[in-house]
Parts: sequence; structure tokens; C-alpha cells
Amino acid sequence: MPRYLGDDFILPQLTPNNTPWYTSGEITIQFCDDCGHAQHPPDEICYACHGSNLSFRAVDGTGTVESFARVHHPLHPALKEHVPYVIAIISIDGAPGCNAQGNVVNCGANDVAIGQKVRAVFEEAVDPQTETRLLIPQWEPAE
Amino acid sequence: MHGEAVVVGVGESTYYKHGGSPDTEFQLACTAIRNAVADAGLELSDVDGLISYMDYRNSPLRLADALGLGDLKWSATPWAGGGNNSSATMHLADAAVSAGHAEVVVCFRALAQGQFQRLGSGAGLMGGTAPEGLAWGLPYGLMTPAQECALQTARWMHDHGVSQEALASVSLACYANAQLNPRAVRHGRPLTREDYHDSRWIVEPFHLFDCCMENDGAAAIVVTTPERAKDLDATAVPILATAQAKGPEIGIYAFQERWFPSMYYEGVAEQIWNRSGHKPADVDVVQMYENFTGPVLMALCEMGYCEPADVEAFVGDGRLEGPDAAVPFNTSGGNIAEAYIHGLEMVVEAVRQVRGDSTCQVKDVELSLAVGGPGYAPGSAVLFGPAL
Repeated sequence: MPRYLGDDFILPQLTPNNTPWYTSGEITIQFCDDCGHAQHPPDEICYACHGSNLSFRAVDGTGTVESFARVHHPLHPALKEHVPYVIAIISIDGAPGCNAQGNVVNCGANDVAIGQKVRAVFEEAVDPQTETRLLIPQWEPAE
Repeated sequence: MHGEAVVVGVGESTYYKHGGSPDTEFQLACTAIRNAVADAGLELSDVDGLISYMDYRNSPLRLADALGLGDLKWSATPWAGGGNNSSATMHLADAAVSAGHAEVVVCFRALAQGQFQRLGSGAGLMGGTAPEGLAWGLPYGLMTPAQECALQTARWMHDHGVSQEALASVSLACYANAQLNPRAVRHGRPLTREDYHDSRWIVEPFHLFDCCMENDGAAAIVVTTPERAKDLDATAVPILATAQAKGPEIGIYAFQERWFPSMYYEGVAEQIWNRSGHKPADVDVVQMYENFTGPVLMALCEMGYCEPADVEAFVGDGRLEGPDAAVPFNTSGGNIAEAYIHGLEMVVEAVRQVRGDSTCQVKDVELSLAVGGPGYAPGSAVLFGPAL
């Protein structure tokens, strides 16, 4: 899928914490092996039991729009042709407490609502430094 | 109760529109510090401590030599956040002075946004990739505090049935009060409710007039001991209570489910009211850091002023406007209409209200509250007064 904000728009620099999110092609969440706590964004220590036995696991790839906002002021030259665009906070099914930042795509900017069910879709890109294939999680209306 | 440290001087540079300062940021800082120290009736060589914000560019070493300060014994910045550093500087100054680590501490903030760009402009974000920390939002076009606070505000408005009119009321109060303040960048530029609604969207639910300005300028505050203050002509304004607070599991991003939506002020409220023995209704005048209007409403509720369901009536009908307001609020015009010196100018105004020399002076002020920037933990606040 082409990118919501254009194929030339800012890409993430890959790190050990964000590589699963941006390359796995699934909604991949960090869980604590000791206490089961889910956390997003990932970190090097579990925020619940404070241990460091953490691993990544894919969840179903569905979620709910907790909030959204239409952005009208383009902060980057590449955004001028994309405003208004929708930024959103999505709670992720199967990962209690985890809210992710993203866009709601494949619908109009006026077709997003708080409480709306969404499912993950993935934008394709290539990391310019490592030439790793990126699959950037996005969300589209599920109904 | 505290009261072991007192404010004896406040000062500022001229406040300019973004890019309008003929002076550099460092020169602006020096001007504000000189003015505040002179206001206290002290000499620059009396200053033995400096406190600023966490990302400051003006080194204490450089300032000390440029200004001819005394031998520095204390330098500090708050631990995180952003605009919350405003009231947090008073927390650090209170700690330093009360414990005797330094006797004359200057808190300052200087900004020359023409010289140094800032986040609201997308500065530094134009490269092709987003580094760790920014990589969770930037690829989605989630780039600024306005957008982050819009997401918090939109959900809170949805949950509590708050309309756009409540946001407008905050901005209108700042503009109305700035018309009384010749220092204000928006002095002589009154705003009507119609102007507000006609202004362009930045990110819904924020119009242009829901957002703080971007300015060049500097502000400074001098804190010392009550004993030292006795020798000065300046009115001494006690720091009655001050606090920073962070609850559990806020995370490093402001969207964790346990707190979303929140401005992180419940812990600040608990400490401020417990330490002072007061409650919101006792406070004569409040300055609330407006990065954006929505977060002000949320922080007002979290500080205990009213319930979210009642906030529209609480701030409506001009109840925040002018020296005789039901709830005297942002009496200098605040970040929205006086100048955006990251809220330190609002702490200055809170002090002036106790001294009785505000341009929008509330009668017989004994308790004056300044609440720091909302939306980024830890929150902060400082309660001043009554004057010694």
C-alpha cells in the first residue's frame, strides 16, 4: 500500500525497540515473559514487574479509535497536498493498556469517529540506511 | 506549609513577536536578569544561584561571567516535561534557598525564536528519518505539541460534552486581560468570539487563537530568604507551596491508556492543597499556562476548580475576564496574548498580583497560584502569598 502522507514522507530510524513494529507486517507488541504485561512503545525494562525478560509477539491487528484529530496546518512541505489528514490514538486488541499513534486510512477525513473499530493495514517503504523493507502499521475502518 | 523562601524581584525584557528581537537570546536573558535583580534592590554580585529550564541554551558559566554574578553555589533545571518547568523553577529555588545551598537564586527563561527555531515550526524535523523517541509519531505526521494536546482534548471534550465555546472563553479572557497590559504583544489587538471562530484551524479542535504565540523575550525571578528580604525595600512574596508530580505508568509518551486523556495535574493538586491547607476557592487569582486552550480546561478540573461537566459554565459569560472576574485568570494575558516565555512570564504575573502592581490588579490578593504547562508530566504549580 502506498503511504498515507506520501512516499517521500519521514521514515522511522530503525532501533531494536521499534524494528518489530515497523518491519514485521503484523501488529507486534512487547510482552513481559515473567508477568505478561504488554507495553507500547517497548522499553528495556517491564513497567509492571520491572524485570527484563521481554519479548515481542504479534496480536490480532484490530483496535479501536480512542481519539483522533484532523490536522489542517502542514508542518512539512510534503504535507501541503495531504491536509487535512487524520492522526489518531488506537487501543490495540490483545494488548491491554497499549495505545498506539497512527493514521486512519482508506476513508475520508470526516469519516473517523471515537469508538470506531479499525484493523491494521501496512504501508510499504525501504529504510534508506539499511535497505530493510519497512511495513508501517496503519489503520482502516473495520466496518 | 512552607514559606522559607520568598520572591523579592521580577523582571523581563521587552517582549517581541517571533523573530522581532534586535538582541540575541543570551542578551535577552541578561536583560531580564539585570531587571529582576534591580527590582529586588540587590546587586548582580549578590546572586549565587541560577535555575532555568531543562533544555536551556544559556549556560550558567557564561551568564555568571557576562553579568558579573557572585560565586555560584547552585545551578539546576527541572527533570522533564516542557512548559511545566515554569512553576517547577520555583520548586527548585525554594529547595535551594530553604536548605541554605544558596541565598540569592535567579530563575530565568529566555527565548529568541527567530534565532533558534522551535518544535511548533517543525524545525529539525525536515530530514528523511525520525530518530528514536520521535520515530513513533513523526512517520504518521504526528509532529507537534498542538497535535498531541489536540488528541487529548478531543477525547476529553467527547467524554464530557464540552463544546468549542469553552475553549473560546479561555482565549477571549487572555486577550481581554492583555488589552490592559502594555507589555503584551497582543495589546491593542482585541479579540471577539466571532474572530475566534473565524480563525483558521491548526489541528481540530484548536483554531489559531487556541494556541500560544511564539515570541522573543526573557523573564527572570529572584528568590531569597525571608531574613535577607528584611534588609530590602522590595515586597517579599512567600512561596507557600510548590510541587511537581508524576503518577505511575504515564510512560514516556502521553497516550497510555491508564491516563488517556489527562494533563497529569491530580498529583500536583493533592500536594499544593495539602501543603498549603487551602483549596481552589481560597485562591484570589490564578495563572494557568496555556500551551493550548483545551489543556487549560483539563488542568483547571484536575486542580479541583470544577468538574468537567460544569467547565463550560465555569469559564463562560466572561467569568475569567478582568480584575473583577468571578475567577481572576491569566491577568497579564498569558502565553496566548502577553508573550510566550514558556510560562515564566505567568509566574512573574502571579508575584505581581501579591505585590499589588499588576496591570489587571485583583483587589486584596493574598493567595496567587501559577499552574505550569499541562499535558507533559511532571506537572507543576506554585502558590504565593500573602506578602510579608
